Amino acid sequence: MELLEKISEELQNGNFIDVPKLTQEALVQGISPAVILSDALVAGMDVVGEKFRRDELFMPEVLIAAKAMQAAMTVLRPKLIETGVETAGTIVIGTVQEDLHDIGKNLVGMLFEGAGYQVIDLGVGVASGRFVEAVRTHKPDIVGLSSLLTTTMPRMREVIESLVEAGLRGSVKVMVGGAPVTEKFARDIGADGYSPDAASAVEKARTLKP
Amino acid sequence: MKPTAGGQYRPLTDEGIRKIHDSAMTLLSEIGVEVHSKLAFETFQKHKAVCDPSKNLVKVSRSMVEDAIARAPKKVVLCGREEKHDLYCEGKNVHMGTGGTVLNVIDLETGVKRPTTLKDVRDIARLCDALENVHFMVLPVYPNDLPPEDVDLNRFHSSILNCSKHLMGGIYTLQGTLDIIRMAERIAGSPQALRERPFVSFITCVVSPLKMDDIYGDILYHIAKAGMPVAIPAEPLTGATAPVTIAGLLAGLHAETLSGVVLTQLVNPGTPVLYACTATSTDLRTMGYVSGSVEMGLINAGAAAMAQYLNLPNYTTAGMSDAKVVDAQNGYEKAVTDVLVALSGSNFIHDAAGLVEFASTASYKQYVIDNEIIGMAMRAVRGIEVTDDTIALDAYRRVGPGGNFLADPHTILWMRREHYLPKLSDRQLRINWEKAGSPTVEEKAVAAAKRILKEHKPLGLSGELKDSLRAQFPGIRP
Repeated sequence: MELLEKISEELQNGNFIDVPKLTQEALVQGISPAVILSDALVAGMDVVGEKFRRDELFMPEVLIAAKAMQAAMTVLRPKLIETGVETAGTIVIGTVQEDLHDIGKNLVGMLFEGAGYQVIDLGVGVASGRFVEAVRTHKPDIVGLSSLLTTTMPRMREVIESLVEAGLRGSVKVMVGGAPVTEKFARDIGADGYSPDAASAVEKARTLKP
Repeated sequence: MKPTAGGQYRPLTDEGIRKIHDSAMTLLSEIGVEVHSKLAFETFQKHKAVCDPSKNLVKVSRSMVEDAIARAPKKVVLCGREEKHDLYCEGKNVHMGTGGTVLNVIDLETGVKRPTTLKDVRDIARLCDALENVHFMVLPVYPNDLPPEDVDLNRFHSSILNCSKHLMGGIYTLQGTLDIIRMAERIAGSPQALRERPFVSFITCVVSPLKMDDIYGDILYHIAKAGMPVAIPAEPLTGATAPVTIAGLLAGLHAETLSGVVLTQLVNPGTPVLYACTATSTDLRTMGYVSGSVEMGLINAGAAAMAQYLNLPNYTTAGMSDAKVVDAQNGYEKAVTDVLVALSGSNFIHDAAGLVEFASTASYKQYVIDNEIIGMAMRAVRGIEVTDDTIALDAYRRVGPGGNFLADPHTILWMRREHYLPKLSDRQLRINWEKAGSPTVEEKAVAAAKRILKEHKPLGLSGELKDSLRAQFPGIRP
């Protein structure tokens, strides 16, 4: 199992060039996709998360590890689906209409990728209708809404209302975030989850599993 | 440790510096210094200073001062017992550390002020050994539980056991001073080895205005004779022992500390000596001594500039506070004076860690807080590095318009060295801070000090050497 350890180690170093290659090598060696996922990739990201909490790693280092994880998942995901292994899930994210801020949203996206999620990023200034459409098409577990302006916060309520009207609200969890957003606001508009910063968003998402 | 050079802040013009220097030469040659130490007086007399024994008065000519400056080392390396702690005192290199000597401490457990003991000497040394921004330790506290004749040796012995950084200390008796030197020679391996890597040094003082005391004059004479490094501070106070004006105080300080420099170079040319200043201001509303005034920062930055003019390594003071508790006054007084003096490029800035209440009281938690302030001040001293690498055009090319630099390799390469990362400052979102119990800086500092005292293992001395020192110096306490 030296190879799995090597994958985990390179993942922790954020080596997004070699990690997918090593993952491929592991598959060729006949190691089961589920084992590669849990013992190499998730194990590596757990170490990264732990070091981040201890301030040993900084956010940029978590992000390149996430990038390596994402690169490995493009190799691994088809095999996981073939063998019927449940993956972390899918999340649709976007910054709401009239709001062009994206650094926070991108950060959240990368961290979800790092946690093994498939991330569908709709970009910035996303109208309610596009969120509804994406939920219908991709059948995500979660839809994540971002807003940095107090003036665009009401757009989050709009998205949730549109999902209700389209009859899709029951099939997806809604998470909201962004500097002006609070836990109370999230509750008031009927969102399922809120996290005050990018780092805790994945953790929150895990608690929302249907 | 690679030295960090300051000097960005220049509190005096070149013309101002020359004027203060010339005035100090006038003070020394016209008014003179009262020298009460017989050894010191005879030394001046022997070297043809104009002396009046009936008044203990010594008039030092400009040429005597110039001769002494020419003989004094331009560079004094104050060593740690580990090389990483060596201090290159020359030019505008900046080092910051603790100061003393005080009689009381704020207890770490109770938060109550009480007299210091030998245990505090030991514990504070261990704390300072672990605090990464404290570059050296000036022995901070007096062991009230020991008889006076045992104080000098035990203060140094206990500090050596617990802190491998450079140790400078005030001393109280000539015998104690000589014992410390003999003990340090044993630890270094030989008298020669100690002179090559002096890990201990001393502080004597000149009394302001213009007076050399008998005991300290004698001790200074013997330290110079022994060729050990010594700082000779004067502590003129505006409006009390110096004119109320800063320029006037600097002229007196300059004359006073140079009188000490001259003595050391007459006794033993080449003695490693630090031009030194512990001056500050008074608050003339009450005539009270104050340590955290902005003028204190100006005075000590000015003293550094005067020493730099003569190419003499220097010792100054900053980072003290008159506040009794950890509060806003405590923070702003320390920060402002630290930054002023550090940016002036002073070589050995003492009193910058651990002291509160007119620098009259040590405080465990304060060492941890001041470690943070010094870290920030030293980052300011390091300044802004401008190279192709730091401008990072390549990173701009990779990121492009509208992108971000978060996960760019340039960010990861530089983020740790470019930014000072405080350990105590709260930078969490309110929601996370509240979840953590809304901790204050003070609470975090107390916890950090307790953790260090519990976990930190200093370099120490071998058991054999410890036993042999105890046999040689029976006054050493366990």
